[in-house]
Amino acid sequence: MKNFELVEPSTIDEAVALLDPEDTGVRAIAGGTALMLMMKTRLFQPTRLVSLRRLNGALRTVRTDENGGLRIGALTTLTELEHSPLVAKAVPVMSRALRTLSNVRIRNVATIGGHLAHGDPHMDLPPILLTLGARVRAVSSRGERWIDVADLFLGYYQTAIARDELIAEVDVPLQPVNVHTWYAKFTALSADDWPTVGTAVWYRLESGVIAEARVAVSAATERPMRVPSAEAALTGSSPTVQMFAKAADAAADEVHPLADIRGSAAYKREMVRVHVRRALEHASRARSTEAE
Amino acid sequence: MTIPARFTEPADTTVEAPPKAKRKAAVRREVGRSIPRLESHAKVDGSAEYIYHLRLPGMLQGKICRSTVPHGRIVRIDASAALAIEGVHAVITGEDIRTLIPDPYYGPAFHDQPILAIGKVRYVGEPVAVVLAADLHVAEEAADQVVVEYEPLEPVFDEVAATKPGAPIIHDSLRPAGMFPDLQYLKGRSGTNVALDARVLHGDVEKGFAEADQVFENVFRSRKVVHATFEPTVSLAELNGSNGLTIHTSSQSPSYVRAEVSRLLGWPENRVRVRTAFLGGSFGAKLYIKLEALVAACALLVRKPVRIGLTMEEEFYTITKHGATVRIKTGMAKDGRIVAREVETWWNGGAYADIGPRVSQKSGFTAAGPYDIENVSLINYAVYTNDPPAGALRGFGISQIVWAYECQNDIIARSLGIDPLEFRRRNILHDGRPHATGTIMTNAEIDEVLDRLSDRMHWDVLFDHGSGPVRRGRGLAIGFKACIAPTTSVAVVNVYGDGSCCVSCSTVDMGQGSDTAMAQIAAETLGISTETVRVIHPDTDVTPYDMATLGSRSTYHMGNAVRLAAEDARAQLLRIAAATLQTDIEELEYRDGAVISRSGARMTMRGLMLARFGMQAGTVIGMGTFTPPYTKPDPRTGQSPQITPYWMLAGAAAEIEVDTETGRIRVTKLVNVGDVGCAINPAIAKRQLNGAGTMQLGFTLFEEMRFNEGQVINASLADYKIPGMLDVPEDLSAELVEFPHEHGPFGAKGVGETGMFSVSPAIANALCDAIGVRIMELPLTPERVLRAIRESENRPLESE
Amino acid sequence: MMNETRRIIRFTLNGRAATANIAIYETVIEVLQRDFNLFGGRESCGQGLCGCCTVLVNGTAVSGCLYLAAFVDGAEVVTVEGLADRGVLHPIQQAFVSKTGFQCGYCTPGFILMTEQLLKRYPHPTDDEIRHYLSGNLCRCAAYPDIIEAVKAAANKIQAVESDP
Repeated sequence: MKNFELVEPSTIDEAVALLDPEDTGVRAIAGGTALMLMMKTRLFQPTRLVSLRRLNGALRTVRTDENGGLRIGALTTLTELEHSPLVAKAVPVMSRALRTLSNVRIRNVATIGGHLAHGDPHMDLPPILLTLGARVRAVSSRGERWIDVADLFLGYYQTAIARDELIAEVDVPLQPVNVHTWYAKFTALSADDWPTVGTAVWYRLESGVIAEARVAVSAATERPMRVPSAEAALTGSSPTVQMFAKAADAAADEVHPLADIRGSAAYKREMVRVHVRRALEHASRARSTEAE
Repeated sequence: MTIPARFTEPADTTVEAPPKAKRKAAVRREVGRSIPRLESHAKVDGSAEYIYHLRLPGMLQGKICRSTVPHGRIVRIDASAALAIEGVHAVITGEDIRTLIPDPYYGPAFHDQPILAIGKVRYVGEPVAVVLAADLHVAEEAADQVVVEYEPLEPVFDEVAATKPGAPIIHDSLRPAGMFPDLQYLKGRSGTNVALDARVLHGDVEKGFAEADQVFENVFRSRKVVHATFEPTVSLAELNGSNGLTIHTSSQSPSYVRAEVSRLLGWPENRVRVRTAFLGGSFGAKLYIKLEALVAACALLVRKPVRIGLTMEEEFYTITKHGATVRIKTGMAKDGRIVAREVETWWNGGAYADIGPRVSQKSGFTAAGPYDIENVSLINYAVYTNDPPAGALRGFGISQIVWAYECQNDIIARSLGIDPLEFRRRNILHDGRPHATGTIMTNAEIDEVLDRLSDRMHWDVLFDHGSGPVRRGRGLAIGFKACIAPTTSVAVVNVYGDGSCCVSCSTVDMGQGSDTAMAQIAAETLGISTETVRVIHPDTDVTPYDMATLGSRSTYHMGNAVRLAAEDARAQLLRIAAATLQTDIEELEYRDGAVISRSGARMTMRGLMLARFGMQAGTVIGMGTFTPPYTKPDPRTGQSPQITPYWMLAGAAAEIEVDTETGRIRVTKLVNVGDVGCAINPAIAKRQLNGAGTMQLGFTLFEEMRFNEGQVINASLADYKIPGMLDVPEDLSAELVEFPHEHGPFGAKGVGETGMFSVSPAIANALCDAIGVRIMELPLTPERVLRAIRESENRPLESE
Repeated sequence: MMNETRRIIRFTLNGRAATANIAIYETVIEVLQRDFNLFGGRESCGQGLCGCCTVLVNGTAVSGCLYLAAFVDGAEVVTVEGLADRGVLHPIQQAFVSKTGFQCGYCTPGFILMTEQLLKRYPHPTDDEIRHYLSGNLCRCAAYPDIIEAVKAAANKIQAVESDP
């Protein structure tokens, strides 16, 4: 590895000031697990790393905001999220997914901000956050802006976060009543593998009918994404096995899976079909948010 | 003081197997007990020695530049940019090595592999140059800067295609190594990619097929997999005095390394010292020459210590397990007896033969299975391709062969409506009957293996196959292996002045627990406790010759050598006592560090040493050499009256769940039964069986090296997944079948590989039992299974 | 402060003050091995997947092969060498000995440190908790059943010690 500059600012203002919109060799580093992998294989040779570890404080908390939503500081580790009672209460689908996300050591240091900023389509939380309607607060020396997670992932390892921006916070809004959710992680190789297909589903019932539905797919596709056709198929219907299968077919038709060592595009398409359906079935059996 | 005569008579004559006469059924105090491993403390506190962690003063670290093309001529190597980097000490190429070693080709079967590529490269990942620097980071950075220009040649990757006329020829000519007696039949060849075609002919297979009521023919394939040892392969070399060399290496075969490096350098063996420590796993990866010749050459060229330690990624470019294509044709009689079997196997050996010819021949001659078949024809082709080299991986090819015959046996049994277990019972090769090689089967407890499988699986109880998307199935398989022959092990047992004892042998403890087993054997023989015995790790300056730690041979071969050495030491001590006490040796017994006579006289070690050396100091050195008998097979027919010292029998059975919508298999129960003779340490033997079974579970369900034009595209544990805790079947068990082998040390035979043999076909047979789908290619990935399901339902998945 | 080549870090290592002169790109494993001769943490897969490089930083397990040494400045670092108390093995180490939760031993220190973490989180772990918690530690020799036994034995041992002070 070549030498680089390692700076450890103590405020977020200092941190963003040290980022550089022009230099691809300047990156922020939090837990660093993903970045270190790229550095070790020389896929990324930094000129400057801006460490966020001294920022902590407000950026490493989970709290409930005035609207009852969850505010998660970007430097919160995945382990902290996994065991957060607030997360478990508000969005148990996230707590459950965290248990099999990578491994304990990675979860101990990887942060939610890094998890999202990396843009790796194989991560478990992005599809879940997509269905929960989450958004992130990005800050730079130019100011700050909110980005819907739906607009965050632009392509394979590409996000809407600019080079001089940092994710400071994740906002998971208060989930309405009667919402059913599930995340299905399917691994094709060993059990502890990355997902071959990740599927998150969310729907809200009104008088026994699906009033609103969100379906998101990751890992099989170049980026985590919502699947509108499946959502449309569900909306206005009863949550039946037949409707779930129909929605799953719509999802399978809509996605464009990428072939890799974990499966061909055709196989992954089938797995989207199977797991969207199964996730919906699981969601229907899972306890909903507080009923009306 | 009288010094007894004949006190140093060494037992240095080659000993054949010990007499057949039954040994006295003595009560055993050390052997047969699950004694905790001697190195336990060091392995849990971080202090166990591994060569990967060795640092020598002033050493340089080497980073290998590797070929980026699968087959090509080297047009130019430009190291100027690398040399310009501060801290780079040297860049070594094949031509540099030639200035030191004019003929720098090595290999246990053929001298085909250059220390660094010369003129030509034959696979992606082949070492082309080495950058040396004191700082590994500098060496790594500089290695990226070495420019190599290639003129591409047409590659060939498929083992069958490589044997066809017109296939690109990978080696212009082949030179047999002539080192190992079992490989003496290899011939110099040119113009072919077939390094060896080995045949076994027994009866008349054509006549057998003509007379058969039904003939089955199938082709089975297994893909390449890799050892992925956690301590990566590593070697260090340093100059030793004015004309010697010391190599520290993570090797399973230190004696071979000394011989081969000496040969390359043109030195006598006594100028090369090779030492090892614990190995952090090996499974066949660290055999013969890997990095040893390279570090030796580098150290001699730069006159400094040199270390090269691979990364996990580089393990994938160094040695692999053979992919294989097996065509198997079987003729059946109406009564369910196999009357003829023809097996033709193409072994994908990759770019260099390594030990591929032994894999091909040794596993090949068992390719009809442990069955009594009148007419057999077995043909094996060891084939060069432009893949990374393939060598030994825990079974020398046996699991690829068992995969074929045990899957086909199930196909036949199903087709004939015979229970798979019953089918095997009907065809077993019993003791006293000739195997296809003509060798008479002995000490092979196949019936017992089947009985245990049946018991453990409750085979005669109706099985619930489930309903809905998840179906259940069960399957079994048996397999066998002939231990390698002929080979020699030599051991020394030192008894020191205070009665403490060291075993000095070149068996390498790479996790299989050989240190503890050898200590138990020595302790049993000397009547002392195992915990007090120290086993000296291989150091060719100190420990005597051993063929290698491979093929599950150590317990039997080295175990016998250690037993003989301990007996020799004991005999010497008794002779000293007999002379001193003026009594017959038969009146004496050596126990707990003292000699005791029937009349009650007792000589302590102090007394013995005083009697022998005139002071309480000295060493009594016992020596044992063990070479079991062997008769070379007829090269034309493969016939031999004595092809192996012992057969290793194994069986496995599995219960699985298969998700018919995803194709994912979950193994819920796995039983591995091994015929071990007598277990020296039952807990260690069972752990070996379970460990091997789990490793083969990975090879069965998801492990596979994936290639794109010869480039490995999953050379990391991120993309080449191995079994973790969540993959281990909830009900995993190992069962030892113990009938003492008449020539084994305390009845023991080998076990390290046994747990691998039968796992894959047992799972595939369970899959077929669950859903009626037969897959003939490993691994059984979810996609492969789902595709097979969908084919069988006439609604195939799209190909892409 | 452009491309500083080296940096001094101060930290606590197995209970003692430690100082190291490191290159900025070095991992904690490289520094522990080179400057402190501690090889219990060892790099194998190099990707944080096998667990051989496990070390505890401020009481939390991390993959030392993916952890910049610069980041342990001011931290408390514990390696497997720091578990034994004046030559007396930690109860977890004792359990790995008595159940032989290893074969080649290369992955063992990582398993032991992760077990220490596991038992802090789940003092009486179920099989499922053990398997999930340790799913990120790989053992190529696959001594998994014995490792699970060792974890349970360690849990019992620790409980016995705590209930009988």
